[in-house]
Amino acid sequence: MNPALTTRARTPSAAAPADLQPLQQQTAPVDPHTSVLDVARLFLDPRHAGLLSLAVVDAGRPVGSISRYELMRVFLMPYGRELYGRRPITALMNAQPLVLALATPLDQAARAIATHIRSPITDDFVLVDADGCYVGTGLVLDVLRAVEGRLADRGGELERAYARLKSSQLQLVQSEKMASLGQMVAGLVHEINTPLGYVRNNVEMTRGALGDAAQLLAAQQAVIDALTGASEPDADLDVRMAEIEELRPRVDAAAMRDLCDLLDDTLHGVGQIGDLVSNLKDFSRLDQSGLQKADVNKLVDSALKIVQHLLRKREVSVVREAGELPQIECAPAQINQVLLNLLGNAIQAIEHEHGRIVVRTQALDGRVLILVEDNGKGIAAEHLARIFDPFFTTKPVGQGTGMGLAISHQIVEQHGGMIRVASKPGIGTRFLVVLPVEGRGKRP
Amino acid sequence: MTDALPSVLFVDDEERVLRSLRMLFRGRCEILATTSGREAIDWVRQRRIHVVVSDQRMPGVTGVEVLRAVAEHSPATMRVLLTGYADMDAVAASVNEGEIYRFVEKPWNGPYLLDVVAQAARVATRDFAAAQARATAAASVEPASVIAARVVVLDDGGAIAALVRELLPAAVHVDHARTLEEALSVLAEHDVATVVAQLSSAHGDVAEALKRLKHLRPATLAIVISPLRDSRLVIGLINEGQIFRFLLQPPVRELLRRGLVAALERHAELRANAGLQHRYGVEAPRGESPGVPGRLLQVWRRIREAAVARIG
Repeated sequence: MNPALTTRARTPSAAAPADLQPLQQQTAPVDPHTSVLDVARLFLDPRHAGLLSLAVVDAGRPVGSISRYELMRVFLMPYGRELYGRRPITALMNAQPLVLALATPLDQAARAIATHIRSPITDDFVLVDADGCYVGTGLVLDVLRAVEGRLADRGGELERAYARLKSSQLQLVQSEKMASLGQMVAGLVHEINTPLGYVRNNVEMTRGALGDAAQLLAAQQAVIDALTGASEPDADLDVRMAEIEELRPRVDAAAMRDLCDLLDDTLHGVGQIGDLVSNLKDFSRLDQSGLQKADVNKLVDSALKIVQHLLRKREVSVVREAGELPQIECAPAQINQVLLNLLGNAIQAIEHEHGRIVVRTQALDGRVLILVEDNGKGIAAEHLARIFDPFFTTKPVGQGTGMGLAISHQIVEQHGGMIRVASKPGIGTRFLVVLPVEGRGKRP
Repeated sequence: MTDALPSVLFVDDEERVLRSLRMLFRGRCEILATTSGREAIDWVRQRRIHVVVSDQRMPGVTGVEVLRAVAEHSPATMRVLLTGYADMDAVAASVNEGEIYRFVEKPWNGPYLLDVVAQAARVATRDFAAAQARATAAASVEPASVIAARVVVLDDGGAIAALVRELLPAAVHVDHARTLEEALSVLAEHDVATVVAQLSSAHGDVAEALKRLKHLRPATLAIVISPLRDSRLVIGLINEGQIFRFLLQPPVRELLRRGLVAALERHAELRANAGLQHRYGVEAPRGESPGVPGRLLQVWRRIREAAVARIG
């Protein structure tokens, strides 16, 4: 293979700078002294069929360009050929052609052409090297094609970037959910372990008592059998009587009543654990596509249950006003997430002993309103405008992702609703969520 | 005097837990129960209570706060934390401020809890009896015995050893051991008041050694400094090693200083009154660690030989 050929036949790769190099047409230029007639003959040359103009070059530098159009204009005039034919081409040429360096970036070239261009397009542009010496011409059409190619590439890039952004957004939502769930875990573990503790103990106690009771019954039965039987009482009877004496106080009526109470407690405890697990299930359901009919009051109560350990810990009282609500079409797990976010924020805002949170629901005009109000430290006016911004947080580093409200905002908007906030520092904060009864219909 | 049943006070904000515990302990002790931490503290002030078993997460006064108050008002009362969730801060506070005897997790194991409380009750009974006798003796410890004390710092780096030296009076002898072997040698040769151990791994030899230290040297108190926020690790060190203090790395200077001073004073008390050492009874170590027992066994042997040599 001829090395000269291989090095020259280098196709511009995607990484190569997009300049005018590939567009270069190595057209032979025209000497300034060439006559108009001779230039006209050049245009008739089949090799130059695709060219709009030819460059006029003097001592290697472009001094003008002559277009086919200009020649036609002149030759169409009566006696035009005769009048101009023998004159040098400099008489007709455009002394200010569009000259571009080979290394000009494609975008810049396109812009330069756009500013220069006149209708109809009559000229090609002239290409020079870094020293300003003529190297060839370029077709405007080729530039257009090249730019279009670039746009197509960019379009593809944009699509890919958008897809990546969408997937990382989903990840963010998910990780925010996990983060807020993680915060709940501490309290939830405690909430579950507490009933688990007495449930297990009560069952063990009951089993022990049943064992004792069985023994007592057996001993008592043995004594009765001996009394009603035909044979003489045997030595075992003493042992039996001693057993009865020992077991009676352990298995008396009072003990049985206590055990019944303990079993009631046990059932209650098991119920509590069941509740907590079902609340967790509601929260963790990914439910991306399912729009369901849900009772917002139930969702609010469920969210309150999940945060109840936090409420107890900080001695925050809750005022719950539940209006009559129609069922709304929504993604319940997402609404749950919004509620948990608002409640969590409300609780954290309270830094005094008399914490109070008001949660009110109300139906109005085909919409459902949810109000979460706290008497915590409030939000400063300058922060208020930004609290729905992603990553905006007033908490110290390490606490909170700053995504909670941003995601809540997005969820509410996707449901076709809106979320508003009002706050007074030192007094408290109020969030209002409005959700339509009819769902949006599209995937959240 | 008849052997009265020991009194045990249960504190938990959930009534059902208290009912369940009443049933479990029926007949074994005098049972007191309340859902209020404040009430619990009042009772401890008003009458003799041998063991306090408290939950941690309660509204109002937390379990650690209750136990800290108990430690202050009635040091002879044994303290147990019984809780559904072990978060790091509560665990550290329970050992540092509450100086608890055992940390029991919910759901509890019935026989285990009975055993823990029974042991604690025995210790407390002895202590209340001894306290009456001690009431006449000098209340404070002789300064001389504190100053002449010896502290070993197990720290492969050196920063903690330097800090300990800085915080203690010059008369206290501070040994810097870079390896477990070095530390154990010092422990074998001398009466060490306090071991300050830097713990970087939850599963290494150092953790195991700390757990077995109380068996070897019941009067030596351990202060553990670690970057690990591992509540399980600390619970193990409390229950199996009865460590004296746990500080997160880097340690707050004032906390470390107070811990060191308290440890030195406690050691002097224990030396003066050997009977007190049973307060730090530990559980049999769980889990096997092939590396350490051999080494500790050697140390133990040397201590025994030295003791025998002194007697004989």
